[in-house]
Amino acid sequence: MFSIALSELAQIFRNRLVLVTSLIMPAAVSALFIYQHEGFAALGSLGYIAAVVMFTVGAFGLYTTTVTTLASRRQNLFLKRLRSTAAGDAGILAGLLLPITVISLVQVAVIMTVLAVVTGRPDNILLLAAAVLAMVIMMLGLGLATAGLTNSPEHAQVTTLPISLGTIAVTSWVGITGTEELTLIKRLLPGGSATELVLNAWNGGVPVTESLILLAPTLGWVAVAVALASRIFRWEPRR
Amino acid sequence: MLSGKKCHGEVMTWSHCPVSAAAAEIDGMSSTPVIDVERLNLTYGDFHAVKDLSFQVERGELYALLGTNGAGKTSTLETVEGHRTATSGTVRVFGKSPRDRRAVRPRMGIMLQESGFSPDLTVKESVRLIGKLTQRTDRVERVLGIVDLTRKAATKVSQLSGGEKRRLDFATAVYGTPELIFLDEPTTGLDIQSRDDLWDVVDKLREDGSTVVLTTHYLEEAQQRADRIGLMHKGAFYREGTVSELTRMLPAAIRFLFADPVPALPLQATREGDGKVLIETFDLQKDLHTLLRWAQDHTVELRELQAGPTRLDDVFRALGSD
Repeated sequence: MFSIALSELAQIFRNRLVLVTSLIMPAAVSALFIYQHEGFAALGSLGYIAAVVMFTVGAFGLYTTTVTTLASRRQNLFLKRLRSTAAGDAGILAGLLLPITVISLVQVAVIMTVLAVVTGRPDNILLLAAAVLAMVIMMLGLGLATAGLTNSPEHAQVTTLPISLGTIAVTSWVGITGTEELTLIKRLLPGGSATELVLNAWNGGVPVTESLILLAPTLGWVAVAVALASRIFRWEPRR
Repeated sequence: MLSGKKCHGEVMTWSHCPVSAAAAEIDGMSSTPVIDVERLNLTYGDFHAVKDLSFQVERGELYALLGTNGAGKTSTLETVEGHRTATSGTVRVFGKSPRDRRAVRPRMGIMLQESGFSPDLTVKESVRLIGKLTQRTDRVERVLGIVDLTRKAATKVSQLSGGEKRRLDFATAVYGTPELIFLDEPTTGLDIQSRDDLWDVVDKLREDGSTVVLTTHYLEEAQQRADRIGLMHKGAFYREGTVSELTRMLPAAIRFLFADPVPALPLQATREGDGKVLIETFDLQKDLHTLLRWAQDHTVELRELQAGPTRLDDVFRALGSD
């Protein structure tokens, strides 16, 4: 797994397109949110900014790169090549996705640290970490499922739009309007409960036990995504 | 790494111990077929790609799986490699399911029909990565050397020519001298020198005890090198056997031209489209002798005389007429 991960890391840093979309673009958007934090905080809250930057990295860095990487490696038969070795399927996927996952986690950590330095520390860091981890797992699961529907890296530019734009839209909706109305719908939408968890973790004022329940819908999306992926994910191009 | 250590009773001067003989010694399976396929069926929806196929490959053999396009040989090969699941039937490799990668793959090298390398990795990185994942031991430099890619070690795969990519593919297949090597159209896109070099390496591997399963469109390669051939047509074996067994089923041919009119021929003959006379025979030497004596007795000149045993091409062409 680690040898695959190391080669994948090398490829990320050699591919300018991936470097820009997975590293620079999310960082730039996050920088804008932090720079304009007073305006965005007035619109929602500081927790909303944290949620938006988290999902910007999650959707445009982690999720999109997951789909693009898997589609690309499948299209050029690299997945088949890896499967012609003694490596198991789980190890291959873990190796391919480990670098972008670690990069995304580091990005979120750095961006939130900067946000905390600029605006003040969050109310509950552990809860925030749980929210970030839940988001990462959900986006990986959704990425695997979407990769099953994606034929090529070019195709990924289309197939990733519903989830990436959708989660950002849900984050903004929940972050700005809260969950006092349409609570169930907002929490069940992908990214809704994770956003609320970040809001609670950053802004405070909600008991931890109530917040932890919000992990359930996010992990529910993981279960749905993994179930979908196990049915539709392909290791070889469609002939 | 066993450099300078004893390997199969001999001190090795290079860096690794061939796996093949070592494993054979250890598991004592020399009498067990390396590959055992029994009543294999593969279907894709309504399409029956492989029908009740059974064959075995013995240790040290070079077995060629040949066939027309769409005959089912790639489906068969990929099932034996463990890339596909059989619809029904059993496939055993080293006595185990080929889907059990951890158990089987360290003992087999696979040269895929298409490249399958990441374009952003270098040649050396690609061999190192795939080699490491096979769990066999070897030196990357040695493997690059035998496929003449040493000078391209730092070149990205995206910058290689088609032939160089095939050689890279071959390098990963032979990394660590596996007991069983699958070569799926190994020489397609290679120049003659590279082909010869590749077959030299295969010959060396076979000397070390490796078993080889080959598919190719170059029938002369199979004719020259295969111990046995499975000739597939429409998902099943049309014929299976040694080259001589396969060619023995079809008559040899004697072809020539002569000016009319001539006395009656001593053997049954037909005219071909180009005007040549064709005599088909299962006893080439005797019938050729009869024909030449007849020509001499009647002072007939046999122009463009050709006589030869049945070639694999002829067996292959016979597929089309079935």
